[in-house]
Order: sequence, then structure tokens, then C-alpha cells
Amino acid sequence: MKKAISIVAGLALLASTMAFANGGQEAAAKGTKKGITVVFVPKLTGNAFFESANIGAQEYAKNHGFTVKYDGNPEASVANQVTVIDNAISTGADAVCVSSVDATGLDAVMKEAKKAGLKVVTWDSDVSGDSRTVMVSQGTPDILGKMLADMLADSLKERGKNPAKDAIKYVWHYSQATVADQNSWQVAGEAYIKKAYPNWKNVAPSNYYSEQDAEKAITIGEAILTAYPDIDGIICNDSTALPGQAQAAQNLGKKKNDVSITGFASPNSMKEYAKADVLARWGLWDCKIQGALGCYLAYYLASGNTIKVGDKINVPDIGTVEVLPNTVLDSKAYTASDSGVVLLPERAVFTTANMNNYNF
Amino acid sequence: MMDKRDLGKKIFRWEGFLVVLIVVEVLVFGGINPKFLIPRVLLGSINNFMSICIVSLFVTFVLITGGIDIQAGSIVGLTSIVIGVLWNDAGVDIYIACLAGLSIGMVCGALSGFLVAYTGVQPMVVTLGGSFLYSGLALTVTNFSSTESYKGISGFPAGFIQIAKGKLFGIIPSQLVIFLALVLVSYVLLHLTKYGRKIFLCGVNRNAAEYSGINTRLVVMSTYILSGFGASLAGILLTSYLGTAKTDLGKEITLPVITAVVLGGTSNLGGAGGVIGTALAALLIGLLRFGLSMAGVGTQYLDIPVGVLLILSVAVRFAGTNERLRAIPRYFKNLFPGKDCA
Repeated sequence: MKKAISIVAGLALLASTMAFANGGQEAAAKGTKKGITVVFVPKLTGNAFFESANIGAQEYAKNHGFTVKYDGNPEASVANQVTVIDNAISTGADAVCVSSVDATGLDAVMKEAKKAGLKVVTWDSDVSGDSRTVMVSQGTPDILGKMLADMLADSLKERGKNPAKDAIKYVWHYSQATVADQNSWQVAGEAYIKKAYPNWKNVAPSNYYSEQDAEKAITIGEAILTAYPDIDGIICNDSTALPGQAQAAQNLGKKKNDVSITGFASPNSMKEYAKADVLARWGLWDCKIQGALGCYLAYYLASGNTIKVGDKINVPDIGTVEVLPNTVLDSKAYTASDSGVVLLPERAVFTTANMNNYNF
Repeated sequence: MMDKRDLGKKIFRWEGFLVVLIVVEVLVFGGINPKFLIPRVLLGSINNFMSICIVSLFVTFVLITGGIDIQAGSIVGLTSIVIGVLWNDAGVDIYIACLAGLSIGMVCGALSGFLVAYTGVQPMVVTLGGSFLYSGLALTVTNFSSTESYKGISGFPAGFIQIAKGKLFGIIPSQLVIFLALVLVSYVLLHLTKYGRKIFLCGVNRNAAEYSGINTRLVVMSTYILSGFGASLAGILLTSYLGTAKTDLGKEITLPVITAVVLGGTSNLGGAGGVIGTALAALLIGLLRFGLSMAGVGTQYLDIPVGVLLILSVAVRFAGTNERLRAIPRYFKNLFPGKDCA
């Protein structure tokens, strides 16, 4: 019922904005053109994350009247991505939406694309702020750090602990100290825990690292569980560390009622462990929505709309998103009014109840 | 009779066939998507596969001696990161850093070449080991840099960027000019000098070459130094073209390079081949990939036509030298005597 009401309300809103479209006020939000082609570039093809982002983008484009051309190379490399973007310019595409394999390597070709009149959007992995108009990000360090801590708190609550009062012992287990995004989540998560749960204790402040090595993740995972037999929670903010940690717990016969393990990984990589009661919940973002949102914004720009920092854009079926300054991701980032970041409206927490709705 | 056949051989030489294929490609793709024929677009696309062209030129030398080089891609990345770290972190002048990169590439080639020529270990094994060694070294070099390895070093001076991004007369990409110059140099070196004859002789019969007084070890080793030089040069151009120095630049070019050399008519058993064929084949493959993607084929499927082209053309070429297959047209001719009797 609630859903029906919101759909009706949404339609009403749509109708009203359309009615005002000639008035000029809200015109920008709905002025979209036909026959627009967005080239959607993954880091590499054949990877579950990017393939499902493409499925999301294709479905969305079909429903909203624009074309998404998925073009990438099975091998992730800067030179390959440059070729793909160059070809997009040559074939006369209207916009590109790119997950860059390199933080700066695509800057030159992205600027060329801009000069040739294409609209340039990034998603998942960014290029320099002055080389693209908008980046669709999975979340700021603050959002993702808090999400990790909250997932642990929920799992603890579920097995009869009181996260607000009990002296909870926890550790972090992720790839390595040099990986920028994962460290920023850990730092933000620690800050949030200090404030929200001062009774928690990080028993290994130097963290555990498994260097994105699947076997090492299991060895390190077992080492944590043996070194601290009474540990309450383990946060694995790395998609290799989390399955490894769960496998380690399974090897040592620990279940979700003995220790709460949580973190970021794709649903498919954790379904078995969740079924075996090794962990209660973990999270990520829905890459299908991320792909769809990226392509929509590219389409929105290619239809002649402009985006300024501070704008609120109503994205059909996804929700209203706000254009934030680049500094929300990195305090040293390039700032300009025509270059910003859009956050995914929501991230997904997976449990046995909903994990089968996702396939990536 | 003989004269006629020789003339036919000259006209229908492999290189001629490749030229015809390139012309057909340009016409077909131009027909499908006229944008393909815009000089700016067509010449611009060449920039994206120049590194394969340049590396394959010099790998041809290695294949003619009967060797193989699958380490060139890793030397591209090593050169790139050496230049980046020297310039960014050691404060070395960018052009001196390029010279250092070239020297390192040649030393890498020399090391593998030495092992191939003087120990008799199979070139495939040595250069496979080399590919791991040099890409590993490249990752080690990044540890001396203040930039995280996943980021790549950028912000090079404009003069350096112009090496690969510049355009002659505002239209011809400088990479193409450099490539044509290299084709000339390598053609002279391989086909017009005594050194070039020695390379061929090493590939035809190394023992015979040795007995005729050629230091075959030195000649074989020198071809790997040359291919290391070519790979380093490609590393410099790719760094300049992309504006970023990374360890993994060039990692995907190994197989395209071998493809171009073999498709160009160089025998993978050694002793026969040439740089013109390689250069044409590299252009053919590059234009095929670009043309197909202009025609709307997804990038991830572009390996399929390249594979088909390689297998078909090599099969056709070998069929020409196979006695049994050559008997087939003779058989048909004998069925209809009187007409064009050979």
C-alpha cells in the first residue's frame, strides 16, 4: 500500500514538474532528449561487479529512453581504456561513463572527450576532478565507516550482547595500510566508534592485513581467532579479507553466535558462509543502481542540462541526489562549481533474508 | 616460364597481399561508417596501437634468429616506471630519465639474450622468466616513489608529452613519424647490412653460420638487445602519450606483438621474414580493431576477428608451401588439359 502511494505521489510529482517545464524554473530537471548514446566503460569486462552494473544500466536505459553501449576490454589497463574512450569520441557518442583503472592516467583522454563535446562522468573509480563533470561514488569515508561499525553493532545485538554497555573487543582486518579507500573507511569507522561506542576496545590498533591474497586472508583470519579466543567482533573492510575471515572461522568451528564477523564483499562471495551461520550480515552497495545512476547522469548532461555543486537532481526510480563538492571524498581534491560528486542514495546490507535478491 | 613465375612471386609477395588487405579494410570500414575516413580520426586511431607496431618491428629480429620474445611487454612497464620515479622522486631531467630508461631496457634485453645465446636454454623459457623478473622489478621500483603504485606518476612537462602527442603539420601524429623512421632504420639494418645477413643465417642454420665464421652467440644476443631497445622506446612513447608512468603499461601487448610478427610473414621457426611485413601486419591489425569498433562491435569481441585473420592467413601461406595441397590445383588443371597448361 505504502509503495502504491509513493508511486502515485511520484507520478504526480512528475506530472507537475512536466507542467512547469515551460516555466523555466524546474525545467533543467526534466529536459531530456531522445537518441542519446552513453558509452559505459568498466575497468574490465567479465567481472561480476562490472557485468551486473551493466545489467543495471541497460535495464534503466531501456526504461528511460536512452541507449547505453557497454564497451570495455577483458584486460584492465590504462591503454585499453584510452582506446575505448578514443573510439567513443570517434564514433560520435554523446557521453561516457567510466570506472577508471588509474587515478590520473585517463585525465588527458577525458579532457579530449570533453573538448570534443562529450559529457564525461565517472563511477566507482575516479579520475582527477578537473577531467570530469561528476563522479558517482559509493559513499564518503564517514558513511562507509559508520556503516561498518553499525553492522557490527547490529550483529552483536542479535546474539544477545549489548553494544552500548558491554566491553566489546574487536579488530580490523583488511588488505594493507597503503590502500587509500579502505584506510579512509577504517579511520572514519574508528572515529565513529570512539564517539558512539566508547565502551568498545580495539585489541589490535595496528590492524591485520592480508594484502588481497585469498589464502593469506584465511591464515590471518585464523591467527586473529587463535590470538584472541574471546574476541567479539571482526570488521573486514576488504572483499578478499571478509570471505577469508569467514572461512577461517568455519575452519575453527566458530559460528555467528561465537564471534560477529562483518565487512564489505559481494553477496555471491558470502552466501555460503551466511547459509552455514558463520556470519549474520555484511554489506556493499548495489552496483546495478550505481551503473544506472552513472549512465543517467551522463544522459542528463548530454540532454543539455548542466550540473553545479549544490544542485539537487531528481533521478527517476532512484531518488533525489545532491551534487556535493569533490572534497567529500578527498580533502585535497580539486574544487570548482562545475565538478562534483554524487553519492549513491543507499548502500545495501545483506543477510540470509535478502541475499538471494542480488546476483553479483 | 621461370621469368613469369618469378614475376608472379614478386607481385604476389606476402607484403603485397597485406597491402591489399589494408586497402580492402579501409574501403569496407569507410563504407560502413564514413567517419572512419576522416583523416583526423583515422590518423588519431593509429596513436592507440603504435606501441604494438614499434615493439613488433624489433621482435621480428628475434624471431628471424629462431627465438621468441615474450618479455617485451614487461620492459615497456619497467621503462615507464623508471622514467617516472627518476623524474618525480630523484629530480632527474626528464630526457636524461628517458635515456636511463632506454639503457635499462637494453640491459634487460642483453641479460635475457645472454642466457638464450650462451646457455642454450629455450628462448620461450628465458623470456617468460624475464617477463616475470622485469615486471617484478618494476613493482620494486615503485617502492622508491612517494606515489602509491596504483596511482601512476603524472604531471610530466609539456615538452615530454609532446613527444607522442605532437602532430606534424597539425595532422600527422608524431608517433607515426617516429614509427616510419624506425621502419626505415630497421629495414636498412636487417635487409641491407652484413649484420642483417648474419641474423638471417643464424636463423636458417646456426651451425652453418658458426662454421662460416659468424659469432652466432653475439648475433643472437644482439637481437634481444634490439628488442629491449624497441620495448623501451615504446615505454617512453606510451608514458608520454598517456601522460602517466605505471608499472603495468604494455602488459597486454605481448600476444598482439607476436601476432603482428607472424602475420607479417616472419617464420616462427626462424630464417625468413622481414620488417616491412611486420609493419604492415601491425597496421592491418590495428586498423581492423579500430574499424570494427567504429562499425559498432564491442571492444571485448575484437580478439575474435584478429584470431581468425591470423589463423586463416598463416594457413593460406603454409598451404602454398605444402606439396600435397599444391597438388590440388594441378589435379584440376589436369582434368581440363589444353587451357592454360603450366
